[in-house]
Amino acid sequence: MVSGAIALAFLPLLLTLIIRYRYYFVLFYRAVLVRIWKDCVTGLSREERAYQYVLTHSIPGDPDSILDAFDYWCNKVEYISNIGPKKGKILDRILMEQSPLTVLELGAHCGYSTVRIARALPLGARLYSIEMDQTNAAIAEKILRLAGFDDDTVELIVNPSDEVIPRLRSDYNLERVDFVFMDHWKKCYLPDLQMLEECGLLGKGSVILADNVLFPGAPKFLRYIRKSGLYEWKIHRAMLEYSKGIRDGMAELVFQGIK
Amino acid sequence: FLNESMSFIGDEQFEGGNKEKRHREKRRDGSKDRRKRANAKRRDRSRADRENEEFEERLGKREKGRRGRVKNDQEAKKREQEGGAGAQVKSGKTAKVKKNIKNEKRRISEKDGKAGERTEKGKKRVESAKKEIATVKHGTRDKTREEKKKKYKENSEDKEVKPESLSPDELEKLKEAVDEKKKLIQSLRGKPWPMKKKLVTLQETLRIQSHDDQGEWKWTLLMLHPKWMKFQRDFENFKTACIPWEMKIKEIESHFGSSVASYFIFLRWMYGINMILFGLTFGLVMVPEALMGRPYGSIPRKTVPRAEEASAMDFAVLWDFGGYAQYSVLFYGFYSNQRAIGWLKFRMPLSYFLVGVGTVAYSYMVVIRTMARNANESGVGDDNSFNFSWKMFTSWDYLIGNPETADNKFASITTCFKEAILEEQESRKDDNIHLTRFLRVLANFLVLCCLAGSGYLIYFVVRRSQKFALDGFENHTWWERNEVNMVMSLLGMFCPMLFDVISTLENYHPRVALQWQLGRIFALFLGNLYTFIIALMDEINVKREEEKIVKFNITMWEASLYNGTVSENFTASPITIHPADVPRGPCWETMVGQEFVRLIISDTMTTYITLLIGDFLRAVLVRFLNHCWCWDLEAGFPSYSEFDVSGNVLGLIFNQGMIWMGAFYAPCLPALNVLRLHVSMYLQCWAVMCCNVPQERVFKASGSNNFYMAMLLVILFLSTLPAIYTIVTIPPSFDCGPFSGKNRMFDVIHETLESDFPAWFSKVFSYASNPGLVLPFILLMVLAIYYLQSTSKSYKEANVELKKKLQMVIQIMKIILLLPTTVNNWQ
Repeated sequence: MVSGAIALAFLPLLLTLIIRYRYYFVLFYRAVLVRIWKDCVTGLSREERAYQYVLTHSIPGDPDSILDAFDYWCNKVEYISNIGPKKGKILDRILMEQSPLTVLELGAHCGYSTVRIARALPLGARLYSIEMDQTNAAIAEKILRLAGFDDDTVELIVNPSDEVIPRLRSDYNLERVDFVFMDHWKKCYLPDLQMLEECGLLGKGSVILADNVLFPGAPKFLRYIRKSGLYEWKIHRAMLEYSKGIRDGMAELVFQGIK
Repeated sequence: FLNESMSFIGDEQFEGGNKEKRHREKRRDGSKDRRKRANAKRRDRSRADRENEEFEERLGKREKGRRGRVKNDQEAKKREQEGGAGAQVKSGKTAKVKKNIKNEKRRISEKDGKAGERTEKGKKRVESAKKEIATVKHGTRDKTREEKKKKYKENSEDKEVKPESLSPDELEKLKEAVDEKKKLIQSLRGKPWPMKKKLVTLQETLRIQSHDDQGEWKWTLLMLHPKWMKFQRDFENFKTACIPWEMKIKEIESHFGSSVASYFIFLRWMYGINMILFGLTFGLVMVPEALMGRPYGSIPRKTVPRAEEASAMDFAVLWDFGGYAQYSVLFYGFYSNQRAIGWLKFRMPLSYFLVGVGTVAYSYMVVIRTMARNANESGVGDDNSFNFSWKMFTSWDYLIGNPETADNKFASITTCFKEAILEEQESRKDDNIHLTRFLRVLANFLVLCCLAGSGYLIYFVVRRSQKFALDGFENHTWWERNEVNMVMSLLGMFCPMLFDVISTLENYHPRVALQWQLGRIFALFLGNLYTFIIALMDEINVKREEEKIVKFNITMWEASLYNGTVSENFTASPITIHPADVPRGPCWETMVGQEFVRLIISDTMTTYITLLIGDFLRAVLVRFLNHCWCWDLEAGFPSYSEFDVSGNVLGLIFNQGMIWMGAFYAPCLPALNVLRLHVSMYLQCWAVMCCNVPQERVFKASGSNNFYMAMLLVILFLSTLPAIYTIVTIPPSFDCGPFSGKNRMFDVIHETLESDFPAWFSKVFSYASNPGLVLPFILLMVLAIYYLQSTSKSYKEANVELKKKLQMVIQIMKIILLLPTTVNNWQ
């Protein structure tokens, strides 16, 4: 039987861990515990709750107000790992600089980033958004319609990304993708990137933006782009969305082609 | 692909050009050299003549040359007829001829070089050309050959250049000579010297080569030079290999920078000191007692008491340093109070006392001397005057050999610059000073709470353990028995982490924060140590009470025994009782020694276990779980651990303090410490290289070295205080240890003076120790210290003044230098 004094001696360690990793604990609470609790209480999924809030608190046809409503909900009410306002600004800036005509989004989730990208696109550009989950895709579609984007601007494809990418050329007549935004499963970053390379969808100057490369993190992906030499790349360091103390980053890759 | 091939061609061209250059250089050098030689031999020749010849050569007209040579030969014949006086001139002429051929050779080779041929081919061509020349000239030279041969015998060193009689044998020789020169030039090219020096050396060697007779030894010396250098380098390597752990430390330094290496250098230094302490105690106390003192079992203090005999060899008992370990040379109580032991008449108690004093004195001396030396080394520059320049030019650590560390260092330098610039900006404005002040006060309050809490916890635990001791340890679990050590180790491990977290509140500059951190950890360790000592003092008092009772009982027991035996049998034979049965007092000195040994052992164990769990296991988990985890373990939450320099250094210092404190009562402590340091050297070297990553927050180690030394000095002082206090105030136990039976431990000196020295000596000593003499002496010493202090201070001031003047001069120089340009600008 361990005596109480020895247990008390572990108190400083416990305090240290709690203080040092408080943001992670807060994140765990908001993203997991609150979600489970709300799921049980309301009987709706998290995305549906978010959609309800946005529907009631935003002006239809105004993407900005929809994004604001999302941000407020994720900050104050519950947590959804959207790209968030701060990293969203980086995304906006890159889109403004590149003004791509063909954009591929992997992982639409509930449509926040889709609205964000579609809002910044130039006239005549087309966004292909891939979402694996059926219910999430339905919500994303509703959000998109709410924001006022039609099928000509945004094409929502409901399928896993590794099935869709090889068929993009045949089914959707895509020759080249100018801009790719990755925000789906972190493990799929690397295989999807390699698949894009294989299919020849990337041309010289195509930009790939990958979110959350530091937290939760995609180490294999980073290792690959470091080694491959096909890309010019940099990491935009920022904080995790809707959180203050967790470091995260977005990787911006510019495809250089084979030298 | 085209590009690549182009570049390849370019490379080849470049290479070819290089070769050509090399070629030309060689030739030029060779020809120059030969020309020089020829010059020396025909000083009497007119210059115009020579120029003429050169002109001829350049034209390359063989007829002319032949004619000239015929003329020459005729001349030579004449001269020969005239007598030996002309020999010199003749030789000069032959030299000229040689030069002719040589020049031709050079031209050809140059042509070859231009054509971009390989050197071998070029050489072959040269040789074939030489042959051609030889055949062409053969006819004309038939006549003169005989004499020429004679002359060549005279100056044999020119054999290699002799082109006309090229038998295969001589051709070989020529080739050899060329090869040798090539080798020489190759070896010179490899040297890290400036080009000028290389050329000079080349000329010198060639000259020496030519003057075979007088320059041979020089030449051999020069040829031996690389071997000598190699030997020197090998010797240096050997010397470094002789320094213990030098290579390991260098390797760590190359991976982790100088701050981590400084810890290991400190550890090695500590190891050296402990070796000497160990040598003193082992050689002068433990070995004499073991060899010459009374053997085990002869007297009660050297025997395990009857009650403990059954369990005296159990591992659990031995691990707690009880049983046979307690009744051995490892502890104070084993030593007998015989004045002299063995045939050497070794004064054991005196030696014990002097070794105890000597170890402490030696430690003081070494620490202070090292501090003084460090102060000399580091006290030159002040950091404040040229802040940015220092940072600019001296911040890179050239010993780093690892890209990751280099990245970290780069980042730290950048942040350092950023911080310095921010500091400069912030020194002018102050925003919300109240909040920062409040946060700092709050942080200090929290730290104080933490310190008080840990102090109370230790006090509580020690009290409880005393209660357990009264009950008897057998009735309690292992946890309860080792509670004190466990709690102390755990607190010493975890509280620094908490301080580190709290210090982020304060928003200090990292360097200042580090000092605060060190100070707090120091306070924590010191508090823990002194709580422990105070508890020990309580225990000593308890034991002394017990001792009084035992002493009284023993007299009663002896009396009863005596009476009993007297009454039973009337023979006057001495009573023989086995020493294990004799009742004895609680030897408080041994108890103190045991406590310290246990503390050291548990401290060591915690250090190693933390190392294995906190560093190794964590590294293994992070490394191998990273493939199948949902976030990046290496970059994110657990990550690899950093090497905590400040914590490790403080741990080492306090460990040493405990050694100094307890070494008097447990002579085995230095030996244990040597063992511990030895193991931890290897273990920590391995752990650092295997499972740590370089620190992000790098701080200069060279500057803080003296800081560590100062802490060591403070600890030395603080740890000798209790030891001296116990020695001076508490009378030793009556039945154990070398000082048993005396009133105080230092009485042994008095006793030695009285009985071992002549009477006059003790008289002189008694006069010398008279307060009337001692007080003025102390006064004198204080005055001398004051004087030295004040002079050093004035020197320092003078230094500062000179520095200021230097700065002024620099500024004036700047103004003077800038003046013309500014005037020009104005104009």
